[in-house]
Amino acid sequence: MPEGILCNKTPINTDEQLKLTLSDKGGKQYYEEMNHLEVDSDKLWGAIQKTMKSRTKTWLEICAHCGLCAESCFLYQVNGRVPEQVPSYKIQSTLGVIVKKKGKVDNAFMQMCMETAWSKCTCCNRCGMYCPHGIDMGVMFGYLRGLLYSQGFVPWELKIGSGMHRVYRAQMDVTTEDWVDTCEWMAEETEEEWPGLEIPIDKEDADIMYTCNAREPKHYPEDVAEAAILFHVAGENWTVPSEGWEQTSLSMFAGDWECCKDNVQNVYDAIERLRPKRAIGTECGHAHRATVIEGPYWTGRPDGQPPVPYIHYVEWLAEALRTGKLKIDPTKRIKEPVTLQDSCNYVRNQGLKDVTREILSYIVEPGYFVEMAPAKEHNYCCGGGGGFNGIGIYRPQRNMALRKKMEQIIDTGCKLVIAPCHNCWDAIRDLEEEYEIGIRWSFLKPLVIKMLDVPEHLLPKDE
Amino acid sequence: MFKKILLATSGAPSTFGAARVAFDMAKRYGAEVVVFNVMGVPTKAFSQVVNDVRTGEEIEVDDEYRAWVEEELKSTFQKQIESVEFSKIITTTGVPHREILRAARAEDVDLIVMGASSGDSSAYRKGYPGSTLQRVAKAARCPVMTVHRETASYWGGFGSILFATDFSKQAESAFKYALASAKELDCDLTLFHALDISGKVLDQNAIEDELIAARERIRATYVSQMGDFKNFDVEVWEGVPYVEIVKMARERSADLIVMAHHNRELDPELARIGSTMEQVILRAGCPVVSVSKPDKV
Repeated sequence: MPEGILCNKTPINTDEQLKLTLSDKGGKQYYEEMNHLEVDSDKLWGAIQKTMKSRTKTWLEICAHCGLCAESCFLYQVNGRVPEQVPSYKIQSTLGVIVKKKGKVDNAFMQMCMETAWSKCTCCNRCGMYCPHGIDMGVMFGYLRGLLYSQGFVPWELKIGSGMHRVYRAQMDVTTEDWVDTCEWMAEETEEEWPGLEIPIDKEDADIMYTCNAREPKHYPEDVAEAAILFHVAGENWTVPSEGWEQTSLSMFAGDWECCKDNVQNVYDAIERLRPKRAIGTECGHAHRATVIEGPYWTGRPDGQPPVPYIHYVEWLAEALRTGKLKIDPTKRIKEPVTLQDSCNYVRNQGLKDVTREILSYIVEPGYFVEMAPAKEHNYCCGGGGGFNGIGIYRPQRNMALRKKMEQIIDTGCKLVIAPCHNCWDAIRDLEEEYEIGIRWSFLKPLVIKMLDVPEHLLPKDE
Repeated sequence: MFKKILLATSGAPSTFGAARVAFDMAKRYGAEVVVFNVMGVPTKAFSQVVNDVRTGEEIEVDDEYRAWVEEELKSTFQKQIESVEFSKIITTTGVPHREILRAARAEDVDLIVMGASSGDSSAYRKGYPGSTLQRVAKAARCPVMTVHRETASYWGGFGSILFATDFSKQAESAFKYALASAKELDCDLTLFHALDISGKVLDQNAIEDELIAARERIRATYVSQMGDFKNFDVEVWEGVPYVEIVKMARERSADLIVMAHHNRELDPELARIGSTMEQVILRAGCPVVSVSKPDKV
């Protein structure tokens, strides 16, 4: 059987195919079909010739196999320091071999590559910082995932994930109607406590266009309400687009390059339609990487920048606190040991380490902030990045991966972890569920709202 | 006023009291019951895995599981479902309070009926029992009826309603609901205020003056709106409010307590402390309706 009904080389483009794939419990049939999936070596080699640029070629060639990357990888550390978890080995034994063999590899090899690409690397890019040659295995695994995806060797959940983006333009089945309705609902729910609060949809020429993660309207719409409260209190002129509001990109994790471009273009189209002065994304790491750091290149923007300045939520929040748009009541600051998770996708990938700490300087009583060790750009992945969190068949490996973050958190002695990234937040919650170390975790928005010094005129009148 | 009732149930015994009241009300007043169940909390990032509400096991949600949950609910409430004219079952996954609110809005229900907590079920993530009610009560546009203890006094009809007020803005909506219910169901209505003297040492004359003032306030605020409805009396007692409310309900053999909810605190631990409504719900021998918004009263 060259291609299966569910497991094949064709992306999911229709609702029907999406539902069909979803109904396959745990991907049972999907993975069974994968065992018989034929590798199209010519196509694979053709793709490599067309897409593999000099940087990747050079990286593959100059790797001296020195092993200095080994300790940099948290997966190596938590998995008994076996050689199979050394980053350079992981990439050389997969992508390196495919290139060497000019794409002439078999099904079993591709399945091994898939397991390596999605369960032994979270594309956290930490190894790249410690390689004497600056070789970044995370970037190369991103590339390898693309090759694997094009051949149909992708975990079931991520095939669905990128299918969701293709069908709904969101990582979950949130339609435009659902999204608009959720904004109205949240405004309704919040307006009583915050008189005058609005969630303006498709307002042209606003100062800010806000984009988010589809998990918010789907499961945690209060996050949208919280963003609205903070923009409201800060007196911002803001809006959300009815289309192009979803900035996450499971397609980036899946390696669905075509869909990556499509997602980002959708957001950029909204920017061009509504002409905001700048765009702000929610507390999410990979969404920021996809829309702001990588997105401009996917869509072929010549300056490598989004159409307007596009900042991460932590940047806006720090600015609002710095300029006094938002004021913190000092008596309400956090007075317990608290630590901060650095999201790889905007800290290591964009250097937003100090700005997150600036926020903490406003909201945490001096002396109570405890850094993880290591921290900032040296911090480790939450344990569930790069799509790892969501892949059922690699759940045991993911749970093992969480141990590094668990150790780091235990070492700080903190019971409260601030995680301004959806994926880190999820991973830390899952780690508490798995290991029960007695911690709490939070985004920044609810914490800040609790300690705001709200101007008199914004409070409800009758109480 | 009870055309459509949303029964939010985990299917666990801790919600049977709520189910009994919801179905009995529907039967008696010709309402539609929507049985609503959140099958599991999505804990696993964007995957299809949830924790089953009853067992706590990790389950992959698919059509088969959905059908099984629906079947379980149907057999659990079989007799009751047969006794009412309209009913349907909705199952979903998600964070319970959020999905209950979403469904209440989508179905435009007049009343949400639920248990106070998911009982001792450790299957649910910590923090959920009680916090679901807290969050639903805070945000629901319609009244929320909670049935915590097996309700001995409820036999398919309401004869006596206790409205407890703290004179807040939300109490205005709660009053309207209590009055409309009393009129429609032909009940006695007690308008009650518990003067909070907990933790204070007060001069007896001052207490008595405040009791008189509160009575006058009840007359001015509520009685003035009651028109030709005469089936009521006014009571003001001093004490710890939740204790007095429960005592008063017992004394009047109330079948229903109506109160306002306006606790903004969502942290279940913090909200619990000092929340009169929550204490009344946990202690009362009859259903308790909390009202916070004027939309459906």
